[in-house]
Amino acid sequence: MITIESSHNNLDGVAQKVLRNFWVWSAHHPAIFPLFLIVVTCLSVGAINADFWQLSNLFDILRASVVRGLFALGVLVVLASGGLDVSFTAIAAFVMYTLTLFVVNVVPDLGIVPIFGIAGIMGAGLGALNGLLVSYLRAPALIVTIGTQYMLRGFLLTFIGTALFMNIPSAMDAFGRLNIITATAARGSEIGLPVYFLILILAATVTWWMLKHTLIGRAIFAVGGKPDVAERLGYRVKSVRVFVFAYAGLLAGVAGVIHVTANRLANPFDLAGTELAVIAAVVLGGARITGGMGSVVGTMLGVVLITLVSNVLILVGIPSAWQTAILGAFILFAGLFFSQLDRLAMR
Amino acid sequence: MLKNNNLLLASFVASVAMLGTGAATAQDDKEVVTVVKVTGENWFTRMEEGVTLYGEEHDGIGTRQVGPARADAAQQAAIIEDLISQEVDALAIVPMDPSTLEGVLRRAMGRGIAVITHEADSLQNTQLNLEAFDNAEFGAHFAEDIAECMGHEGQWTSFVGSLGSLTHVQWADGGEEYMAQFPEMELVSPKNESFNDANRAYELAKEILRAYPDIKGFQGGSAIDVIGIGRAVEEAGLEDETCVYGLGLPQDTSAYLESGAVDGIAFWDPKDAGYVMNILADKFLNGEEIKTGDDLGVSGYEDVTVTDGPGEGKIVRGQAWVDVDASNWSDYPF
Repeated sequence: MITIESSHNNLDGVAQKVLRNFWVWSAHHPAIFPLFLIVVTCLSVGAINADFWQLSNLFDILRASVVRGLFALGVLVVLASGGLDVSFTAIAAFVMYTLTLFVVNVVPDLGIVPIFGIAGIMGAGLGALNGLLVSYLRAPALIVTIGTQYMLRGFLLTFIGTALFMNIPSAMDAFGRLNIITATAARGSEIGLPVYFLILILAATVTWWMLKHTLIGRAIFAVGGKPDVAERLGYRVKSVRVFVFAYAGLLAGVAGVIHVTANRLANPFDLAGTELAVIAAVVLGGARITGGMGSVVGTMLGVVLITLVSNVLILVGIPSAWQTAILGAFILFAGLFFSQLDRLAMR
Repeated sequence: MLKNNNLLLASFVASVAMLGTGAATAQDDKEVVTVVKVTGENWFTRMEEGVTLYGEEHDGIGTRQVGPARADAAQQAAIIEDLISQEVDALAIVPMDPSTLEGVLRRAMGRGIAVITHEADSLQNTQLNLEAFDNAEFGAHFAEDIAECMGHEGQWTSFVGSLGSLTHVQWADGGEEYMAQFPEMELVSPKNESFNDANRAYELAKEILRAYPDIKGFQGGSAIDVIGIGRAVEEAGLEDETCVYGLGLPQDTSAYLESGAVDGIAFWDPKDAGYVMNILADKFLNGEEIKTGDDLGVSGYEDVTVTDGPGEGKIVRGQAWVDVDASNWSDYPF
């Protein structure tokens, strides 16, 4: 009797230990959460509809992840520094529309590399403006970026234009059609993985390296974690804030151009309203809205998860109103998971 | 109700007549001014053609079109205030935001100015509101094209800008209702939300093609849905196997109409809407009543439907959609 009970206790102890170890381990690897949800989503969608298991589907999801992914990397860096940015879609829309019109009307033969260069500079400039307002006015980042978002959008629609622009520059059009590899889909059509996907890979690698191996990366996490301590340690908090917003702006500008090349048209109304899905992707990937945490791998997995959910639910025949609800449930689930994680890992 | 309206009309006509005697010394014309959301946009430049044409074709009435330089409800209200103090005879207004104009339009009517509106069936302070068509009928019209193109059998789907865009949802529902008579037509994944983004419409269309490889029919909602759907159809090489119809603008959609990826689009012609608003203003100033079944002499407005609006005024509806396909898109400069 006694032996059984003690062994039972032991088992309980072991289970508890394993569970605790799991929580501690997950706390250090928050990317496990979006990965888990991706696997679950893929397995369930694939079980219901075998058409899911196609290379072309993978290509479509990766292709659809590029613009959101670039936005998310910017948001990740801003969140890690303890800020918040909701103006990146407005920056992207402003850059893409203004730049497309400029290239068509002034320098129609401009190559794709200088176009991306200009887009990056324009985006970084607009982002830096956010950073300056946040750090020198000491205003909350959310309020500042809501303000700049509205101003940019209003300026764009009032002074630049509202019309859909179909004839994009030939360099942009050609770049959008360039594929790394192509796969043949069910009905015999060719589906390619576009070259602009490499830009996301490049941006993710640079961001990962910057956050992990450079001084500025350490400064960003320090400022995001405890700004007063960071200041005493000698980090220049204001410069760090300007930098993160400029970096997010740069990525947004590049993302805007990719959106146009992929879409083969420039619409100044595009991208508005996609901010929250991007922020959700970053949070699903383990970054904290309160700053000081987050990883590139987690963010990328969060982006893939959001794209997956918003694209493949059609395959299972889920009505469009429910697709948003499922996305909401995932985000809520993520919030609960991470707060639970914090509590248990602290113990 | 009817009696009341007639009384109002009579007193109104009398007041206009009195005002008219004062103005007659300066100019013999009745002055009708059309106020649009914004000047310079293709849509309203086209509307101006209709407005000007009506004035040229009819003696005793002067027509012109004005509008703010940017789409701004407050600026539009300011322009209307100006026109009220100039004592024009009638205003034909395409409101930017109907609810913000209630006050200024009530004042205009109080001064004896006739108020005609367009695309504002929720507006209380208007005497006649013109709608190009009934939304359910417009949706049914697309469904009719799709069903015919598909030979009345197979899978089809519908798109909306968003589930919150009332008119788009009405078009999708109208289409679905029409299709109910064909048992062989199967609606799959209805009301996909494109969020007015051609890229989103493209991604959704691709996913739908994957999920339902035999799908043939697509009904677009927002004006750029057909562009996104067309691109997906074109990439899949299914131009001949699919039937894509929806709201669209000729110039924007032209490439896909040419390739056959989009089979047809429809819209309402702002030129006709501008012209008909001025007909309504003219008739109203002459004290003529518009009744269901009236022929206004413009294509699409030959058999109008008149219903009571939310306020004292009435809503006049036409069936004024214009069908455009590969053969005639170049007739429309927008």
